[in-house]
Order: sequence, then C-alpha cells, then structure tokens
Amino acid sequence: MSSGIDLQRSFIEILVSLGVPPGVAKVVWMPLPMALILIAATVSIFIAVWLERKISAAAQQRIGPEYVGPLGALQATADGVKLIFKEDINPAQADPILFTLGPAIVVIPVFVSYLVVPFGQNMVITDLGVGIFLWIALSSVTPIGLLMSGYSSNNKYSLLGGLRATAQSISYEIPLALAVLAIVMMSNSLSTVEIVNKQAEYGILSWNIWRQPVGFLLFWIAALAECERLPFDLPEAEEEIVAGYQTEYGGMKFGLFYVGSYVNLVLSAMLVSVLYLGGWSFPIPVETIVGGLGLSETTPWLQVILAALGIMMTLLKAYLLVFIAVLLRWTVPRVRIDQLLDLGWKFLLPVALVNLLLTAALKLAFPIAFGG
Amino acid sequence: MLNFLKQVGDYAKETVQAAKYIGQGLSVTFDHMQRRPVTVQYPYEKLIPSERYRGRIHFEFDKCIACEVCVRVCPINLPVVDWTFDKATKKKTLDHYSIDFGVCIFCGNCVEYCPTNCLSMTEEYELAAYDRHELNYDNVALGRLPYKVTDDPMVTPMRELAYLPKGVMDPHELPEGARRAGKLPQEILEELEAAKPSKSEEASD
Amino acid sequence: MNLAEGVQLVSTGILGVFMLAAALGVVLLSNIVYSAFLLGMVFISISGLYILLNAGFVAAAQVLVYVGAVNILILFGIMLVNKREDFKPVANAWIGKAATGAVCLGLFSLLSSMVLATPWQLSTAEPAGEAAVEIIGMHFFSDFLLPFELASVLLLMALVGAIILARREYVPDDEPENEQKVLTLRERPRELVPTGGEPSEN
Repeated sequence: MSSGIDLQRSFIEILVSLGVPPGVAKVVWMPLPMALILIAATVSIFIAVWLERKISAAAQQRIGPEYVGPLGALQATADGVKLIFKEDINPAQADPILFTLGPAIVVIPVFVSYLVVPFGQNMVITDLGVGIFLWIALSSVTPIGLLMSGYSSNNKYSLLGGLRATAQSISYEIPLALAVLAIVMMSNSLSTVEIVNKQAEYGILSWNIWRQPVGFLLFWIAALAECERLPFDLPEAEEEIVAGYQTEYGGMKFGLFYVGSYVNLVLSAMLVSVLYLGGWSFPIPVETIVGGLGLSETTPWLQVILAALGIMMTLLKAYLLVFIAVLLRWTVPRVRIDQLLDLGWKFLLPVALVNLLLTAALKLAFPIAFGG
Repeated sequence: MLNFLKQVGDYAKETVQAAKYIGQGLSVTFDHMQRRPVTVQYPYEKLIPSERYRGRIHFEFDKCIACEVCVRVCPINLPVVDWTFDKATKKKTLDHYSIDFGVCIFCGNCVEYCPTNCLSMTEEYELAAYDRHELNYDNVALGRLPYKVTDDPMVTPMRELAYLPKGVMDPHELPEGARRAGKLPQEILEELEAAKPSKSEEASD
Repeated sequence: MNLAEGVQLVSTGILGVFMLAAALGVVLLSNIVYSAFLLGMVFISISGLYILLNAGFVAAAQVLVYVGAVNILILFGIMLVNKREDFKPVANAWIGKAATGAVCLGLFSLLSSMVLATPWQLSTAEPAGEAAVEIIGMHFFSDFLLPFELASVLLLMALVGAIILARREYVPDDEPENEQKVLTLRERPRELVPTGGEPSEN
C-alpha cells in the first residue's frame, strides 16, 4: 500500500529547513487541518443544501433556487446571512441557559466527529485507534442537546419533539453500532483509515458493500434516522408537533440546528462511503492505473494528483448518498412514531444481530474473503 | 418448528415486498427528475388566461337598467344595485352599482342572466389588496378596462397547456405562430357551413 | 517541560475543576433537571481524564455508556415525570440533616483513609495505547469471562423485565355482554339480481 501524500511531514520539514524548531513547527501545523476541516464541513452544508433544493425541485418538476448566484448556489449563504442578522429571541418562560446551550450541544459533537473522517492515507486529522467508535460515542451525545432544547423551551411541542428525537436516536444507535461492528470484525480494526485500506486491494470488487449488503442497508436506514431525515423526521413532524424541539428557536440558534442536521447528513454519507464504498479508493485500484501508465507512485506531482482525486472520490461517493437521501425524502412518506420504533426494535435490531452473527460465522469459515 | 420457519419466511417475503415498493417509488421520483420543469416564473412570465376565463367582472354603467336580475341569480345576492325611481320618465335610474370581490365566487351567473349584457367576465385575476374592503369594487372600479397579459411589456406571456401544439408540454421557446392542437372553433364552424349545402342537397335527393 | 506535558497539565487542571464544580452542582442545585445535565458534564470530564491517561477506548465507552445511555435515561425519567412539588417544612428536620452529615463525614473519612493508604506510584508498564481495545477484549474472554457473562445475563434479565413491564396490556375484568352486537350501517338488504341466464329457464 502506498503511503500517499503526507502534508504534515512535508510542512514540518519545510519549516524546520527554514530554521524553526520542530516542536514549534508542529504547533504551527496543528490548527491548520482543524480549521480546514471546519471550513470544509461548513462549505459542505452549502453544497448539501443546494443539492437538496435543486434535487427536490427536479423531483417535483420545479426549477428551485435560481436567482441567488449561479444556478442559485448562493441561496444557502443568503439564508445563513439572514439567520445571523435575525434577532436572538429567548422566550419569556424559557430557561435561558439551557435554551442557549442546547443547539451548541447538538452541533459540537457532529463537527468533532469530522476528526475521524479520512480523505486519504494521511488526509485525516487524527488516525485514532478507536476511530469509528469515537463517532458512535459522539453521536450519542447529541440527544442530550435535543432534550435540553426541548425541555428548556417550555413548550409542549418542544418537549414532545425532544423526547421523540431522543427515543429515536437511542433506538437507532443500536442497529447502527451493530452494522459498524460487522465491518470492524472484517477489518480487524476500528480505525477508519485501516477500514478503507482493507477495501482498497481489488478496487470496486473489494468494497465492503459486496460483503455486507445487509449491513449497508441497515447502516443507511439507521443513519437516516439518526440524522432525522425525511422518512424518519418525526421530531420535526410539522403536522403533529409544529417543529418539535425547534419550535421556539429563531435566528442563529435555529441556524445551528439547521447546520447540525446537514453536517450530520454529509458526515453520515461520508462514513457510509468510508465503511462500505471504499472511502477514497478508486473503482479501479490506483496501482494498476499508475503501473499501466509506467509511472512511479512516489512521483511528487502524481501524489498530489492522486490525493486530490482521493478527496474527490470521497466527496463524490458521499454526495451520491446525499442524492439518494434527498430522493428518498420525496419518495417515502413519514412513518408514525410506533412504526418507527417497531422498525428499529423489531426489524433492524434482529436483522443487525443476524448479520453480525453471519459475518462472524463467515469470517471463521472463509477467512480469506472475510478478513481472517 | 415448521410453523416458525413459515413465519420467518412470510416476514422475509413481506420485507422484500416492502423493499420492492420503495424501489418502485424511487424509480418514479427519479423518472420525474428527467422531466422539464413546468415552472412559470410568475411576475416575469404569466399564463394567458383562456377565452372563457372567469376573472374580475366588468360592468358598463350606461347599459344597466337596474333590473336586479343579477342580484336574484347571484347565490348570495351579492351585487348592490342602488337606484331611484324617476317619476317623470317612469323608469329606474341607476345611482350606484358594486360587487364585493372578497365575497364573490366568480360563478358568472350574473353575467349569464344580464338582459342588457352590461356585465362581462374579464381575464383579470390579480386582485390582491392590503385590505379586504378594497375588494369591494364600485361602478367606477368595475368599469375599468381589464389588464391584458399580452399587452404588458414587462411580462412574457405564456400559452396554457391546452393552447400548445400537440405533444408540446413546455410553453417556453415556442416558435412564432405555432398552432394549438385541434381545430379552432371558427374553423369547425366554417367546416360545418361548408358541409351544410351538400347535406341539404343529399336530403333533397 | 515541553509543550505536550504543559498541555497535559493544564488540561488535567481544567478537567478536574470542571468535574468537581459539576459534581458539586449535581448535589447542591435544587433544580433536578440542572443536576441531571451537570451529571452529563461530570461524565464527559471523566472521559477527558481517560483520554489524558491514554485510554481512548475507555473514554469513548464512557461517553457512549454514561452520557449517551445512562444520563439520557435519567433525563428521560425526569422529563416524563416532570413533577413540580412544594415541599412542606418537616418538623425536626435537623435530625435527618445531622444523620446525613454524619454519614457523609464517615464516607469521606473512609475514602480519605483509603486515599492515604493506597500506594500511588506510577506503574512502570508501557501504556497499551492503541492496542488497548484488543487487550480489553482478550481479558473479557479469558480471565474476566465470568463477570462479563454474568453482566450480560443481568442485562438480559433487565431487558426481559422491561419488556414484561411495557407489554402489560389493559384487560377489562368484566366483559360487557351487550357489546358483542356487530355494528353495521342501516340499509335495506340488497336483493340478489340474477345475472346472465333467464329466470324462466330455472
């Protein structure tokens, strides 16, 4: 496996050659990827929102946003600017501290989860040993924020929405974790980079989706439920409970919920692409292409191109999944709360358990194909 | 044991069915994505209302004989006809006439029954006002000439679906002078006229 | 002292202060919802300390189990009950307070004696770091197998108990007899019209 481009090492080497001590060089380097990922995550919202609006429009034979920016691409920016300039309202009977804290607690874990999303061999903020498990742990913090905002709004719809959101994310976390566990079992690692590397060998044929089709579907359904996307958007079901926990929110506090939901969608899509669709790897292995062209993988310009293509690949897969999520939104009607919990506990959970046991059995029976 | 297996099998079958239906639904939504948008960008583009469009009612003060037929045929007796009886001529003279378009349902009965044709339907439908009392049109407001979409330089007029050539769904970028599907009413009339003499000849034979 | 050590020291201090303050808040605040949220903060601070101790897996598990499950269940319980009650002053309340104080002091002295008695020197063993997950798994399936399985049996029992509690369906004691009548719309019984063949043929 090629090591790929290593920006950190090159950056530090450059600084050291300029006479900066290595420790200081590392300190200078550290905030850069974090800021970059933060910006990238924010930009990804704009893209996701634009895609959502355009695809929704296309599915309904409308045009969608058209006048703000080229093809309406800046519509989300305009919306964001509007939200920032709106008055920050605390309802009179609400609990001001919890009311302000709630949206922040919803958003922060989602952004922190970008720590473990890899875009390339070294294109990840930290290649943690617990990788994907960190994401599961962090996504379980979000319901606290939802409960907090639901409770502090002092509104029955908000409280109902908060409780619903929490019940939903607790129920769907279990099949989600079990689906991830099957992947982890095959990859022998929790690290996201390692999981992708295990899928890189034979290009598209070695992607996990072929070995874990059931797990893929389970994960995607559970991820949609975790993001409160449309077939499962009960916490915000406007016909029943106005807007759920967001009812009393306005201005940028509401904006945080909005941002959080879209970042979460993009994050889930990226993790699906990492876990099941081979992350940054190409449908045809890079080694084959590069070898066929008679080039060496250690050539600097080739490494830059490959790294850029890897990022493109990850984003392409992620946005393909976002596209499917948007299409699903206009295809499938919202489920009722009892149907939702039935689906989670009586269907997804047993199927996920069976899938896990089958994977374990297959791993013992065919260690070559299922990661011995 | 067998019963249990059957249950599991049925459940699996149901799941597959559900997945199939979701897939069908997705294919429908996906198919719709390839169709052209039907959007008419409203303030800049407007549809041309059809000839029989029942819009705001036009009223000609001078033709009205204050017979109040319009009031009688109206489902809610809406038109207000204010007249005085002129003893000298022994005729009613109309003082004021008004229709409240906030209440009117545009059924067209008054237009249908007006003996002097002083009421008529226009193609005007943009009646939005900031106050509902502004919708109470008096005889002056009712007598204004209707706004025409085709005369407005700011607006690109669009043909409605029924007025497009056969097979065309999109009113944008229509070639100049494209004919609508089917025959025009006057053409049908002309054909009938042309067919009549031959018919009568046949009848005489 | 290099940068890493400094960061570690400062983080330990901040996390410790956070944890203590939040724990005091859990105990001292009268609003039970605040207490529950602060409990979550205590758990998160503890997981931060685990990270500083190079135990990433334990930290993540702490967040998942305690913040993501236990604390949320506590909050759920509080919010579903949501009972506001004005407590009446009890006569001779000082007896209870004195007893509580005595118990707390006793516990504190016990703990402090234990703290003083424990040898606190650092273990010389290399921290497992990234390999901790595997080592923990090994332990679970070898020398800690019995407690592990016992815990899972306990959880299974709790699960079954929860299901039985939740499935308690309302069964009326006396079955009303006149309810058996089938409700139908009043309409004339439809006469069956013979279709097809002539009636005379029959």
